[in-house]
Amino acid sequence: MIEAFVWNMALLAIIAALGISIYGIVKKPNLVKKLIALTIFTDTVNLLVILIGYRVIYPVIPPVLPQITPSTLDYFVKHAVDPLPQAFVLTAVVISMAVNCLIAFAIIQVYRLYGTADARRMVEKAFPEERL
Amino acid sequence: MKRAVGFLVLFAAVVLGAATLVSLGVNPPQVGIRPLGRYYLENSYFGEPSPKSPEAVTAIVWDYRGLDTIYEVTVFFLAIMGGLAIFRLEKAEKKKSERPAELTLVVKLATKILAVLIIAVSASIALHGHLTPGGGFQGGTALAIAPLLILVAYSRYVLEEKGLTYIKAIIARSLSLVLILSVVLAPALYGYYLLQNQPFYPAEVSGQLVSGSLWFFNLFDYIAIGMGFTAIFLYLSIPEEVYKEELEAVKE
Repeated sequence: MIEAFVWNMALLAIIAALGISIYGIVKKPNLVKKLIALTIFTDTVNLLVILIGYRVIYPVIPPVLPQITPSTLDYFVKHAVDPLPQAFVLTAVVISMAVNCLIAFAIIQVYRLYGTADARRMVEKAFPEERL
Repeated sequence: MKRAVGFLVLFAAVVLGAATLVSLGVNPPQVGIRPLGRYYLENSYFGEPSPKSPEAVTAIVWDYRGLDTIYEVTVFFLAIMGGLAIFRLEKAEKKKSERPAELTLVVKLATKILAVLIIAVSASIALHGHLTPGGGFQGGTALAIAPLLILVAYSRYVLEEKGLTYIKAIIARSLSLVLILSVVLAPALYGYYLLQNQPFYPAEVSGQLVSGSLWFFNLFDYIAIGMGFTAIFLYLSIPEEVYKEELEAVKE
């Protein structure tokens, strides 16, 4: 009962965090705040993928063989979580970190060029003849 | 005030929604495991054929879905390359004559001890990646923290006097990426498939389990990722005046 409640609450909280981070990406004019919202978004998606592979049982163990003997294999398969989502998240984390670095570099260089990280004022400075 | 009310409403919606879902019995918690995950758990060490790794996640990352990871390393390479291309300097930086201000002895000594510890821990994370949770990615990102600490506590000039310039970091990264590619290509030269692990690479070396190519992938990936992020931190620590001068030169 309480397990089902926590499981559903985790799912709904992840959906709420996805909504908040998408709002941040779309609505915040500052590029740094957009980047922070993007990192929240990727972390939330990773958490969702981990949740898909989780098992609400006791005891639950990580997908690492406790002892290298064939007799532990049965216990291992009964209690270990799904390793495939974890492998996906592992690659996704590194990629998102590298891409975040690239975006942060671009934001810093844009700030040095235009003197502002605000997307609206940046457009005004880059295209002064166009009125928004 | 308005924002606090919004968050309270959202929190209440989450709790009430969870309670409604439980009372309806729509979404019971997951207790089973999917057939694909079960296959990986059963075959990562004892299966025939198998990658001979007790750690199922590393077995998936570098063996079962190794091609995915190779392309992912390519994306990592391109992202770092893009970042460095944005930050590149046209001409070499002028040497500064005066030394920058230094932090206190406590900070510097603690950083020395911590940097050694971080390098040791990250190496253990990376090189035991086929036995315990961890691997090249996690170890590499932990390794990059050590030069970052030194950058903050000392300065970039101290790091460069000791021989770690960004050129060297980029060269080390590119070299280990080439080594990853050679580990991928080597089985193909001897009539096996690309990226093949088990019959070609030995599972054990002098009694120690190395899980074939997984150990080599973890080692080279550890150096590649650690040095890639080190290069990024070194570029980020270049003083802003240098770039201001560059941008002025571009505008004229």
